[in-house]
Amino acid sequence: MRYGPIIGAGALFSLACSWAALVMAPQLQLGALAPAPIPNTSDVHPALRPGLAAQGAEVYRSLGCYQCHTRQVRQDALLFGARLNDVGSNANTINLELPGSGKTNLVNLDLLIALAKARPDLGIAKVTVPPPLLADTNVVAALGQFTANLTLLKHADDKLDVVRPTSGPTVNDVVGNRPAEIFVKVAPETAESVVKLLTDSGAKAELVICNLGPDIERGWGARRSVARDFVNDTPVLLGSLRVGPDLASIGMRAPEKFAAPWKFAGTNTAAEVEHHLLVHLYNPRLLAPASTCPSAAYLFDKQKPEVRFAGEPLALPGKDAPVFPKHNARALVAYLLTQRTDVGLLEAPTPAVAKAAAPAKP
Amino acid sequence: MTTAQPSSQTACAAAPSVAEVEASCRLPVLFLAFSGAAWLCAGAVLALLASVQLYQPAFMEGCAWVTYGRLRPAAVNALTYGFALQTAFALALWLIARLGRVELVAPLGLTIAAKFWNIAVTVGVFGILAGDATGFDLLEFPLYAALPLFASYACIAAWALVTLHRRTERELYVSLWFVLAALLWFPWILSTAQGLLLGWQVPGVVQAIVAGWFGNNLLQIVLTSFTLAVLFYFVPKAVKRPLANPGLVSAGFWLLLLIGGWCGLSQLAAVPAWIPSVSGAANVLVIVPVLALLVSLWQTADGKIAESWKSNATFRFLLVAAILLLGVTLCTAVFGGHYTQFTFFATARTDIVLLGVFGLAALGALHYIVPRLTTGEDELPSEGLSDLAFWAALFGVLAVGIGFSLAGFKQAAVGASAESKFLEGAVTGVASNLKLVTVGYGAMAVAALAFLVNFGLAARRCCLDCCGGAR
Ligand code: HEC
Repeated sequence: MRYGPIIGAGALFSLACSWAALVMAPQLQLGALAPAPIPNTSDVHPALRPGLAAQGAEVYRSLGCYQCHTRQVRQDALLFGARLNDVGSNANTINLELPGSGKTNLVNLDLLIALAKARPDLGIAKVTVPPPLLADTNVVAALGQFTANLTLLKHADDKLDVVRPTSGPTVNDVVGNRPAEIFVKVAPETAESVVKLLTDSGAKAELVICNLGPDIERGWGARRSVARDFVNDTPVLLGSLRVGPDLASIGMRAPEKFAAPWKFAGTNTAAEVEHHLLVHLYNPRLLAPASTCPSAAYLFDKQKPEVRFAGEPLALPGKDAPVFPKHNARALVAYLLTQRTDVGLLEAPTPAVAKAAAPAKP
Repeated sequence: MTTAQPSSQTACAAAPSVAEVEASCRLPVLFLAFSGAAWLCAGAVLALLASVQLYQPAFMEGCAWVTYGRLRPAAVNALTYGFALQTAFALALWLIARLGRVELVAPLGLTIAAKFWNIAVTVGVFGILAGDATGFDLLEFPLYAALPLFASYACIAAWALVTLHRRTERELYVSLWFVLAALLWFPWILSTAQGLLLGWQVPGVVQAIVAGWFGNNLLQIVLTSFTLAVLFYFVPKAVKRPLANPGLVSAGFWLLLLIGGWCGLSQLAAVPAWIPSVSGAANVLVIVPVLALLVSLWQTADGKIAESWKSNATFRFLLVAAILLLGVTLCTAVFGGHYTQFTFFATARTDIVLLGVFGLAALGALHYIVPRLTTGEDELPSEGLSDLAFWAALFGVLAVGIGFSLAGFKQAAVGASAESKFLEGAVTGVASNLKLVTVGYGAMAVAALAFLVNFGLAARRCCLDCCGGAR
């Protein structure tokens, strides 16, 4: 080979290929990504950070927190669940309260049967009706239908060798305690057929999603992080190494899900989380003796500073005298508190929070 | 450059002698080599101090300047820009001059540009320590250091290319292919990354993608190319045989350029899924060119490896560098995916490429170049110090690489199951591996020091020879 320009041109061509694929293409794909509106609110996700938190982002970058902490939650699989929201009503729905009492206690008898079909592990109890109601012919008809269905169910159970427990939770309890998770972590077909069974009985049921993976189970976030979570960030500090836990959702982390679990002492939980994070910044070893998170004690004054607004002193656990967080410490904590992945997005849905009512094991 | 190219006859007639070529190289190459080795020492010490904090958090606590989050990027950038790239320029200039049989253009200008490069690196390292890091891996220098860096590079590369253009030996040897590719590759990736990240500021995770793309190209193409340039020059020379299988080499060269630029993004999570998949596939495919290149080197040296190991101080460095190149490519292909995501495993790859693959090859080459440019002998003055540099560097690279990799695998096991306790498994559990890393960086610093002292001895002898009368 004698011609340098040929080699140069070839090299630049190879580089152009990789540039087009890994710089241009992502920019075309993601460049126009915008915050997504949160349903039923006027808010968007991700929201612009308030001023203090934006300053905190700078502190986070400047102190190199991203060298040890990622802000990307991973997720392995997406499974589904079925949730019962409301009993609904149909011809076989009866009100157990007396007419004129002003109260309603609807029982959808078809739903009880449907649910029993879906969950062979639950018992089913007789429905007792206050005697005055037995005068109502509709109620009597519905009850008669229910008894007939129960017999059919019993036959079906016998055929499938299903033995329902005689004690423990019954479908009646589950229905009475809504919203109830009928199934969690099942394949989409199973969840869909159960939802169909329940809605056919007149009830209001929905398909829910269950995000899975060690990160989610650890309580590091409700769903995986996606590109949209970062559209407002500059620089984008994703982090690539987890010496410490992921911080993508540290603002929402439950106390027991911290690397060193703790408990709320009172009811002002927001203030307690903030206090906990400030103490962590001052000296992580006060909260977790084995922690290797570096102390940012330089963000605190030992003496009350001579500025007009010194802020509240920070009480420390143990015998240490209180210290005074500087502006940057408060900013950093404000930034950490804005870290959340609890908002569902089209590309990364989150399970809406519901009361857990004895979900079936997959 | 409108002058007509000299015909090969006049070229031969006009070809400078080896002594003239070396004289033109002396100032810039020695300056770059010395500063590079000094930065290797400084960077290794910074990395050592940072690594101690990973298991002794109270070490140097209470001062923002030396907190882990600043010390570590300062160390990595010092090693990348101060040591690796700077030494690469020394090797590139020398290879161009020697293989092109041409005197360096503007040796003084090159030296001044190199001086500015060093000033920019120093400013950048202090900028990081002061808290001005940009937040992008391998690209942490703040803009006020990054711009002068780019400007000095532009001068160095421009003069290097002019020198290459004026070469009297028209045939381009493989080493020069690699040098040329790397010299052109680096400004493109650097300007793209700096422009998109610090200037125009592309939105959202595209930043992380661009930064990852830059970091990978720097390691996988630029530094690997300089390494291969060195290998292809010195291995045939050491075994005194022509290069075997040139066809395989050129296939390897082009495939490496085509595939290498696609690797390295396989461990991003919050990006569209096609990016890590494509990159993961490239990580595997790149084995082909690396193997092709290494096989041809092996065919060249086959049968003379043991002999050259003993007789040639440079060769043993190169042999280890080649083995490490193979090892790191295979390991990244096999383990570099989802399992080791977010662990020290990726740190291990960066450090092995910087210090092991490139670092050892560069130190080896310098053990050949420096004595020639100073005393005019074949070896550096002190054989003991050469041995020390080799064994310390070898031990250092292995300790850093193995320590980080083992820590990475432990972290990966913890990350793979929500049952395992994070603090016990991934924090206190990796302390012993990280202690090995600290020792490794220490050994690396010792290797650099040994080389620097040897360098100093050679320079002193050279001075005594020149101005011997005065003493
Ligand atoms: C040397 C690596 C390192 C650096 C740098 C670092 N951390 Fe940590 N961080 C850790 C480790 C290890 C833990 C887990 C132990 C613990 O909870 O203290 C942790 C835990 C945390 C936690 C508690 C999270 C949880 O789920 O328990 C927060 C919050 C945190 N770090 C914030 C920060 C901030 C803010 C910075 C930047 C000033 C920072 N870290 C820098 C290593 C680091």
